[in-house]
Amino acid sequence: MFRPESWYWLYDIPPARLSVLFIAAFVGFYWVGAILIRPILRQLVKHTAGCNDIVGYVLSCFCVFYGLLLGLIAVTAYQNVADANENVTREAAALSALYEDVSRYPDPHGQNLRWLLRDYTRYLIKYGWPLQQRGIVPEEGTIRAEAVHDQLLEFQPRTPAEEIVHAEALRQFNNFLECRRMRLFSVTSALPASMWYVMILGAIFNIAICWLFDMRFLTQLILGGILAAYLGMMMHLIFDMNQPFRGDVSISAEPFEMLYERMNEG
Amino acid sequence: MDRDDIPPGMTAQPLSRRAALRQGGATTLAAARLLAPALFVGCSTGAPPRQQTVSVGLLHSQTGTTAVGGRSLRDIEMHAFELINAAGGILGRQVEMTAPNPRSRDELRLVKARQMLDRGAVAVFGCWTSAARKSVLPLFEEYKRLLLYAVQYEGNESSPYCVYGGMTPNQQILPLLDWLTGAAGGEKKRIFLVGSDYVFPRTANFITKKYLKAKGLEPVGEEYVPLGDRNFSAVVKKIREAPADCVINTVNGDSNVGLFAALAEAGIEPIWLPVISTSIAEDELRSLLPEQVVGHYAASCYFQSLDTDANRQWVKGFQNEFGYDRVTGDPLEPAWCLVHLWKQAVEKAGTFETEAVRQAFRDGLEFAGPGGRVRLDPKTQHTTKYFRLGRIRPDRQFDIVHQSRGPIDPDPYPQIAFPGWSCDWTQDGVVRGAEVDINGDV
Repeated sequence: MFRPESWYWLYDIPPARLSVLFIAAFVGFYWVGAILIRPILRQLVKHTAGCNDIVGYVLSCFCVFYGLLLGLIAVTAYQNVADANENVTREAAALSALYEDVSRYPDPHGQNLRWLLRDYTRYLIKYGWPLQQRGIVPEEGTIRAEAVHDQLLEFQPRTPAEEIVHAEALRQFNNFLECRRMRLFSVTSALPASMWYVMILGAIFNIAICWLFDMRFLTQLILGGILAAYLGMMMHLIFDMNQPFRGDVSISAEPFEMLYERMNEG
Repeated sequence: MDRDDIPPGMTAQPLSRRAALRQGGATTLAAARLLAPALFVGCSTGAPPRQQTVSVGLLHSQTGTTAVGGRSLRDIEMHAFELINAAGGILGRQVEMTAPNPRSRDELRLVKARQMLDRGAVAVFGCWTSAARKSVLPLFEEYKRLLLYAVQYEGNESSPYCVYGGMTPNQQILPLLDWLTGAAGGEKKRIFLVGSDYVFPRTANFITKKYLKAKGLEPVGEEYVPLGDRNFSAVVKKIREAPADCVINTVNGDSNVGLFAALAEAGIEPIWLPVISTSIAEDELRSLLPEQVVGHYAASCYFQSLDTDANRQWVKGFQNEFGYDRVTGDPLEPAWCLVHLWKQAVEKAGTFETEAVRQAFRDGLEFAGPGGRVRLDPKTQHTTKYFRLGRIRPDRQFDIVHQSRGPIDPDPYPQIAFPGWSCDWTQDGVVRGAEVDINGDV
């Protein structure tokens, strides 16, 4: 049974090379099929009058549906990445606002909270993000978030101004927790296996229909190769966007890096 | 047959299947040959190489009553391993750190320790209190892996699977008593003992009482409060009534906030009743109000204010990494040294295997730490230490008012309190003397 996650090692290949690999795999499949399978398939239609017209008609019909499917999946995958990216930006913004709020707390509460928030951000950049890029949900960030929560709840405001700041800090902390949870969910989010089945079988059918054309062999190799190359590119694009934190089209830790730099400015 | 060979009047035939196959095969092979290096050889060199790793555990509470110290220890150990990794790791392996959160709870600490050991941690750096260390030590003895403990402790313990990086009583309590009862300390005679109610304060105070008895003295009071408790008004009342001329404070964690608040409220000034704490470092000082603690003392092996190039550089490195306002302190310096001593032992042993690493301890490992050179004593698996006494400043740092002439050798069983007991892991291990009841009469 096809399991998409068993192919995730492909994310470890540098993006340019992965793109070439996808194209080569599709073109290679087409060419090998043109040599080995095409003669068998051609037997089915070779005595049909105007078979190229029929095959061309079927191919264009198929391509409309398949193209629509690929397009929609690509848009969905991109939307997933964009949503996850927005979450990351919102998490960093909430963290930044929380850092500002707790900086108004009297010490040692303020200092403890600033340390804890810096610690969280540092962990996320140095350890959490590389884990996410390997498709692993970082666990130790939760410990750090809990430590912030404990410290926040330990603070007892003594003046009305402190009460306002504390309430705002708790609100920002909840925002932060919400965004953080959504980011963690998106670490392992990916297209379901059924979609990959449809896409891969669709690509095979597409290629198989092309093998049915009656034309010079070299022309077949070139025209079919171009189509297969484009299919490979599309598949690569979708694969790249499949997981928001992996591959070339992935979310970077830049918002947190900028925040950490600012936190360390003092 | 060449195209030129076609006889006149005949047209060129389309490419035969066999020829096309031959040409296609040749083209495919040529393409494969062209692309293969980029695809496969390039892949293995283009992507970052996956280095072998070795797992090390950091067992520190990051929430709960001992979290402040635990988090700092975790940070300094992570920092040490990050630098080691950046320099190529240990025996060519990158150190992968796992830092679960025992939440300052004994039962959870045991679960987390077992999880780390089951998942292949070759060594674990951790624990804050002696109670915590004692709760997990049997597990390390069962798994035959090393626990590296960086905090000062009470002695009266020795395990072949524990390396003790903190001060023992003969490196902290006894030099402190020497100073207090000597001319430099004002020849104090009315000493009051206050501590948290667990093994370290009780044992430390037992040793103190033995020492005082040998000098013909006895403490004017001895009080304990539960760990984490902040209500010290009754204790402070007793200190005033004693009346004491100094207090030796073995209270641990954030209970110190309550103690110093109660002392300040009672109008006790360090000039006439100094409190000498054994478990207060720069990290704990942040939670204490300067006006309540300035002028009091702490006994330690290291202070951030130590005026040496090595220390300044180390402090700067830590602050660059974790923040401009972070502080170092006593347990952080021993923790740093322990990481490096363990690294040395592993490299000498050429393996991460515990018994081989323990054998490497016999070579007498030394490390130039920020607080001075430390040596790992192979007999006791403890480290040598300087004794330093610091007076608390308004900026939450210490002025070092006294320092031992050189590093003091460790002795987990000071003979004044544990006669007949000794430890030598290069020979027969622990030699037992008469049973000692630390809660009994002195």
